[in-house]
Amino acid sequence: MSESVSGSRLEATGMTKRFGGLTAVDDISIVAEPGQVTALIGPNGAGKTTLFQCLTGSERPDAGVVRLAGRDITRLNPDARARLGLGRTFQRLAVFPSMSVADNLRVGAENRPRLGGFLRVAALLIGMLGFPIDDDKANGRRVDEVLDLLGLGHLRDAPAGSLSTGTLRLVELGRALCNDPKVLLLDEPASGLDTSETQELQTVLRTIAADGIAVLLVEHDVHLVFDVADAVYAMAEGRLLTSGSPDDVRRHPAVLAAYLDVGGAVS
Amino acid sequence: MLALDYAFAGLGLGAIAALSGVGLLITYRATGVFNIGHGAIAMIAAYLYWQLARWGVPSWAAAALVLVVAAPMFGVVLERAVFRPLQRRAATPADSLVATIGILVLLLGVAYVLWGAQARHPESLFPQSVWHLGGVVVHEDALTDLAVVVFGTGLLGLVLQLTPLGTQIRAVVDRRDLAELSGVDADRVAAIGWSIGSVFAALTGILLSATLPLDPFGLTLVVLETFALPVIAGLTNIPVAIGAGIALGIGSSEMNLWTPSHAGLAQIWDAAHANLFVILLLVALLARKRLAESGGDAGTATTFARRRAGEQSPARLALQYGVAAVAMLLPLAFGDVNLRQAQEIPALAIIFVSIVAVTGYSGQISLGQAGYAGLGALFFAKVSASTPQIVALLVAAIAAGIVGFLTGYPAIRRRGLFLALTTFAVGAAVSRFVFAQTYFTSDVTVHRPSLFGLSLEGDHAFYLFELAMLAIAFLIMYNLRTGALGRALVAIRDSEDGARAVGVDVRVLKVLIFTVSAMLAGLGGALLAQQSESFTATAFDPLEASLPWFAVVVVFGADSAAAAVIGAAFVVLVNAVSNQSGAYLIPVGLVAAFIGRLPGGAAEIARRLTDATITPTVLMKRFSASVPPPRTPPVLSERGREALQRLRAGRATR
Repeated sequence: MSESVSGSRLEATGMTKRFGGLTAVDDISIVAEPGQVTALIGPNGAGKTTLFQCLTGSERPDAGVVRLAGRDITRLNPDARARLGLGRTFQRLAVFPSMSVADNLRVGAENRPRLGGFLRVAALLIGMLGFPIDDDKANGRRVDEVLDLLGLGHLRDAPAGSLSTGTLRLVELGRALCNDPKVLLLDEPASGLDTSETQELQTVLRTIAADGIAVLLVEHDVHLVFDVADAVYAMAEGRLLTSGSPDDVRRHPAVLAAYLDVGGAVS
Repeated sequence: MLALDYAFAGLGLGAIAALSGVGLLITYRATGVFNIGHGAIAMIAAYLYWQLARWGVPSWAAAALVLVVAAPMFGVVLERAVFRPLQRRAATPADSLVATIGILVLLLGVAYVLWGAQARHPESLFPQSVWHLGGVVVHEDALTDLAVVVFGTGLLGLVLQLTPLGTQIRAVVDRRDLAELSGVDADRVAAIGWSIGSVFAALTGILLSATLPLDPFGLTLVVLETFALPVIAGLTNIPVAIGAGIALGIGSSEMNLWTPSHAGLAQIWDAAHANLFVILLLVALLARKRLAESGGDAGTATTFARRRAGEQSPARLALQYGVAAVAMLLPLAFGDVNLRQAQEIPALAIIFVSIVAVTGYSGQISLGQAGYAGLGALFFAKVSASTPQIVALLVAAIAAGIVGFLTGYPAIRRRGLFLALTTFAVGAAVSRFVFAQTYFTSDVTVHRPSLFGLSLEGDHAFYLFELAMLAIAFLIMYNLRTGALGRALVAIRDSEDGARAVGVDVRVLKVLIFTVSAMLAGLGGALLAQQSESFTATAFDPLEASLPWFAVVVVFGADSAAAAVIGAAFVVLVNAVSNQSGAYLIPVGLVAAFIGRLPGGAAEIARRLTDATITPTVLMKRFSASVPPPRTPPVLSERGREALQRLRAGRATR
């Protein structure tokens, strides 16, 4: 990608989240390094999604600190985190169905973090008076680049509401990429994708990481995870079972027992 | 002793309020729909009761007919005709909310056209004698009202707790799909929920009409104020709603005991006393920390705001705007009377456009626009007394915008239903505490402006001036719709989470759109007052204006500023032709109520009517085709049947 993006380190330490009597996430620490693909795996109910929500800001952890490039973002709202460079996709899609694919991405490009606080509001007001201060050309270029990267060029004018789940996952990914994230959090990006689409996704993820972005994904598809990830965290029942390289995690007895059904799924 | 007297005096009203609150909660819990039309059902039932009595039916028989026959039937019809199609289309709670507003508007229109605006005084159902017990004044009807509440809700509570129906209702509310899979007929449960809700509403109306004058808007609004109770009860807890109702009734009555000596304070105190429910509704909506809708939240107004006819070619668009511009100039050729009527169109259109901005463009339901419009009118009247009118107009719009900012800021913490209720409460509070207070509205004079020494007193000149203002409003709307700002607003409408994920500043944009919308509404309101050269409180009433206006905008297309102008023309035209200011409520209410069958609103009707060759049979087919075929009844799976049996067995052993 032409506009080179350098990533940041996302670090969460001592994350704990309780719902009533249930401790969904129990004292978990996790790091996503720039330029790497980090994966979070675990069976249903392991607490992956809750941890993920605490990272994106959709949930507030009861304890623990989230740091983005060293800055404490634990108490920031999701949109404030996004402006600091924390991109994300959703397990339950959150695209803009009434817009075209290109416009979906464009929203990402147009809201790239540039201005802070009052200047941003001032820019909005000036836009309302009919003098938008946007670099339309640069935004358009960014959208085109990402459409190409994801192979969505032929769908650029299709209304998002009419597309399949698998395609929309890519649209969401594209929207996040247009936003120039430093860290990219992906919630089950492969669900709803067929085999060939999953393979393409692998390539895309490698490309993104090669650009320096820190990629963290929560994923059910263990093949995808072990093929693409540089580091894997395995969770069960709210706790961290183990972490390390894909090979280490794959062979860890607790992982085999809790998640992979001993000797089964992964060969 | 006086305190006890007042307690008894307030007990009756409190009991009736509790009844209304329970009715709202039951329907909500059984159907997941919060019925904005509840008050109108109460009002219509009271009218029916009054009409039957006038025809010579004894009052007990009239009440029985209304409560046992008419109200339950109405509930069943509501479920079948209005809410089942919505359910089949998997419509969002926001669509259901629009449908209930449609019911409200429709019933208001029907009552207005059938019985007129003058107040009626039905005979009280229960004797109203007053007893003196050891020096305490006891109102007999207060006791009977309380007895009715205790009996009615007690019976209901038993049904909910102890019968399979109660279990089914709870199951349907929790997970409609799962309940259906395990053999619960969810449609039947919903029909029962609507019937019970209607009966409670009818009872509320009949009891209330004994103490309040019965007219289409007044009684309805009083019942709508009891929205405070379900909100205080967190939309779940029926005993809390009853307790709050009775406490509020008594509390409001006890406020008679003391009056501040300072005249100004006394006026505020009186206003607070008379509007305790509105205050509590607002306070509860703003202060309650956790307010959650059950079974999915109404979110934003996406579905009904999103139905666009697709992109149009620029040439066609230019042609349409050309035709529209010529049409807007036509009234200049009208005679005096018609031109004066047509002058309402641009003013009303600007207010409607303000609703398009907040609801259509950015998906935030706002049911209090008339409040901002009225404030605009009032600000203009006050400021223009000492400054040039054209400056006053600007000041009025900005001042309304500031109020929009101040009220929008807390309101945006709420979503969906609660945002809708909060905006409604704001509109009601402004109406009660500003428009209804002689302190603000006595000797208000409104003059038409003059522009650089050019008087706009004349009807032609003023109409042109209005068109110029409308053009400015359109320019603002264009800027709100296009470019990065427009896309960000639509992004919020389509998916708030998605917008946040790319750093769209959702809070700032929401406050911004509320502010701009209030400014536009204020401008429109000021023009409306200038048109009639007077300030009338009822013109900006939450019921007579806000809710019907919202319905018009949705029916004509919430996403289109041009459609808002057509809607305004429709309202003015229907009223002018029928010579009744409430006539437009009926068609608008009908289409809004049937949004489940006509998701495209007025545009869809027009399209179907003008499509190709139309024969009556084709037409009938076309309209009936929109009703999806009935679903096959869910087949009970083996596991579902077992689960049901376990459930039944569990009941039996208890």
